[in-house]
Amino acid sequence: MWCRLLERVEGVYMPYEGLDFYDVDSLLTEEELMVRDMVRDWVEDEVLPNIEKACSDGVFPDEWRVALGEMGVLGAPLEGYGCPGLSYVAYGVICQELERGDSGLRSFASVQGSLAMYPIWDFGSEEQKNKYLPKMASGEWIGCFGLTEPDYGSNPGDMITKAEDMGDHFLLNGAKMWITNGTLADIAVVWAKLDGVIRGFIVEKGDEGFSAPEMKGKYSLRASVTSELVFQDCKIPKDRIFPDIKGLRGPFSCLNNARYGISWGAIGAAQACFHSAKEYALSRIQFDQPIAAYQLVQNKLSWMLREITKAQLLSYHLGKKKDDGTWFPEQISLAKMNNVDIALDIARMARDIHGANGILDEYCIMRHMANLESVKTYEGTHDIHNLIIGRHITGIQAFTRTA
Amino acid sequence: MPNIVVLVKRVPDTNAKITVSGGSLDLSAVKFVISPFDEYAIEAALRHKEANGGTVTALTLGSDACDKVLKDAKALGVDNLVRLWNQGWENLDSNGVQSALASAIGDLGSDVVYCGKSAADSNAGSTGPGVAERLGWTSVSNASAVSFEEAGVEAMIPTSSGQARVGLNFPCVVSMDKGEMEPRRPNVRGIMMAKRAVVEVISAEAPTPTVNVVRYSPPAEKPPGKTYEGAGNVPTVVQALRNEAGVI
Ligand SMILES: Cc1cc2nc3c(=O)[nH]c(=O)nc-3n(C[C@H](O)[C@H](O)[C@H](O)COP(=O)(O)OP(=O)(O)OC[C@H]3O[C@@H](n4cnc5c(N)ncnc54)[C@H](O)[C@@H]3O)c2cc1C
Repeated sequence: MWCRLLERVEGVYMPYEGLDFYDVDSLLTEEELMVRDMVRDWVEDEVLPNIEKACSDGVFPDEWRVALGEMGVLGAPLEGYGCPGLSYVAYGVICQELERGDSGLRSFASVQGSLAMYPIWDFGSEEQKNKYLPKMASGEWIGCFGLTEPDYGSNPGDMITKAEDMGDHFLLNGAKMWITNGTLADIAVVWAKLDGVIRGFIVEKGDEGFSAPEMKGKYSLRASVTSELVFQDCKIPKDRIFPDIKGLRGPFSCLNNARYGISWGAIGAAQACFHSAKEYALSRIQFDQPIAAYQLVQNKLSWMLREITKAQLLSYHLGKKKDDGTWFPEQISLAKMNNVDIALDIARMARDIHGANGILDEYCIMRHMANLESVKTYEGTHDIHNLIIGRHITGIQAFTRTA
Repeated sequence: MPNIVVLVKRVPDTNAKITVSGGSLDLSAVKFVISPFDEYAIEAALRHKEANGGTVTALTLGSDACDKVLKDAKALGVDNLVRLWNQGWENLDSNGVQSALASAIGDLGSDVVYCGKSAADSNAGSTGPGVAERLGWTSVSNASAVSFEEAGVEAMIPTSSGQARVGLNFPCVVSMDKGEMEPRRPNVRGIMMAKRAVVEVISAEAPTPTVNVVRYSPPAEKPPGKTYEGAGNVPTVVQALRNEAGVI
C-alpha cells in the first residue's frame, strides 16, 4: 500500500480509476463502495504484481485464498453460517474488482461462493450448512462444483455419473471434467443421477474412490486450477445428499448466481484493457503525434467506453433486481452473454491499439483476452445463452428442437 | 486498561490532482482518504489494544464530510468514533486545531494518543507535538515501531546516529512514521460494523486563528523532460548531466 503512495507522490505511478462515465458509483451504497475499494486495493497491491508469474507457473497462489477469506468476501450475498450477508450488488462489484486482476481469481471466488457454498446454503440440511459454510466463508476449505462431463457440456441433463443407494451409503461412479478448483478442493458439490434423477452430493477430499487429477495445457485461465473428478465406486455417507432438491433446477440455480457475478467480472476485465489502451494510446507517439490523436484510435476508445458503460448499467440494474428478488433467468443470460462478449471484443481491440506491445506479458491484454475465451464458454456458452433468450422470445426450445 | 485515542485526518487522495483557481484550492472533484501516516497510527492503536486490552477511539476534527474517514477507521477495528466540530472552524490554524484536540483528548480521559507524523495535505507535522505540549504530556515523533507496557509504551525513533528505543509513561503522545508495522486491510465484517457505527459529535473552545492563508498558488510547471535514444548519445547525456543539470 505504502510504496504505491510514494510512487504516486513522485508522479511515476498511473493510478487506476475505473471508468465510470454514467456515475454508477453514485448508485452504490457507502458499504458497497467500501467493499469495492477494499478489493480494488488488494488486487492492486497483491494480485497485479504477481499475476504474470502465477500464470506462467500455472498456479493459483494459496495466499490469495487466505486473503479472500480474511477480507470476508467469499459467499458474499449469503447470510448466516459465518457468511458475509452482503447485497448482490456488492457481490457484483467484488467480482468486477477481482476480474480486473484476473478472470482466474474471479473464477475461484465464483466457484467457491456461487457454485459450492450457495447450493449448501440453499439446499443443504442444517447439519451440512453448519459443517461446511463457516469454514468455506473463511477460506479454510475450498469447494468445487462438478456438473460438466467429458461428453456432456451444454446438455448436462444427459449426464451419466450416477449414484446408487447401498443402504448405509451411496456409491458414486462416473467422471466430471473441466472442474475449477477441483484438485485444490476440500469438498466437491457433485451432481449425479440417483434412480435416473439428478441429485446433489457432497464429496470430501479423501473419500474412498475419489480422485481429482489436474488438467494441464491450458492457454487460458492459467492462474486457475482446472481438474477432472473421477469416481470409482466412491463411497460416501448417506448424510451427504442434498435432502430435497431434484433435477436440473439444483445446478441451474447455482449457475444463475455465478453467471450474474460473471456479468460484473467481465466489466472488470474490460476496464483493465480499456485503462491500458487509453494510457498506451496517449503515450505512444507515431507520425509525431500520440496515436490517441488519430480519429481511428479515438473511435476505438469511444466504442470501448460505450460498451463498458452499457454493461455497467445492465449489471447494476440486474443486481438491484437480484436484491429485490424480481429477476428471471433470461435476464441473467443476457447480461452474462453481452458483457463477456463485449469484454472479449474490447480485449481484442486493446491488443490492436497496443500494437506489437500488446502481445507481451508486460501488459494485461493477452492474458485477459485468453482468459475471456474460457469465460465465454463456461457457465453456458454464448450460443446457449442466445438460445435461452430465443426460447424466451419465441416459446420454442431450440436446443432440442421441441417446444 | 488503556484508553487509546488515535487522531485521523481527512486529506485529498495522494494521487489526486489539486487545482488552484482564483487563489483558492478547488477540491470539488477530489477523492478524500485517511492521511497515509495516520494509517500507521491506527495500526499502532489497534495493536496496543490487542496486546493490553482497552478501547480505541478515533478522533478527527472537521465537518460532517469527515465522518467517512472515521467509518474507514471503524472498518479497520477501532471501537468509538468521535468528531470534534464547532461552527466557524472552517479556517482554524494549527494553534486552534491543537488546542481543540488537546481539550477533547483531555475530556475523553485518554492515556495514550497515536497520530501520523504529518498529514499528507499540509505536511506540517506539528499536531502530535503541539497537542502534547498543550496537555503537558510526554511525546515522541516519527516512531517506526511501538511496543506496549502496563503503564506506557516503548517507541523506536530515528536519531542522528541510528535508532533509539525510548520509553514513555502514560499519558503520552506518539506520532507514527511508516515503519515495521504494516497497516491492516479492512474486511467485510468491519465494513458492516462501520455501516452501523454512530459518530459522536463533540465541541470545544479554540483560540481565534492568528494565521491567515492569503492565497494559494500551484507549484511552477516542471520543464518538459528530454529523451535520448541509442548508445551514440551517451556523451551528450553525460554532458547534459554535468553542464545543464549539474548533478555529476
Ligand atoms: C476453464 C474452464 C473451467 C470450467 N469450470 C467448470 C466447473 O467448475 N464446473 C463445471 O461443471 N464445468 C466447468 N466448465 C465446463 C463448462 O461449463 C463447459 O465447457 C460448457 O458448459 C460448454 O460445454 P462443452 O465445453 O462441452 O462445449 P459443447 O457443449 O460441446 O459446445 C461446443 C459448441 O457447440 C455449441 N452448441 C452446443 N449445443 C448447441 C445447441 N443445441 N445449439 C447450438 N449450439 C450448440 C456451443 O455453444 C459451443 O459453441 C469449465 C470450462 C472451462 C473452459
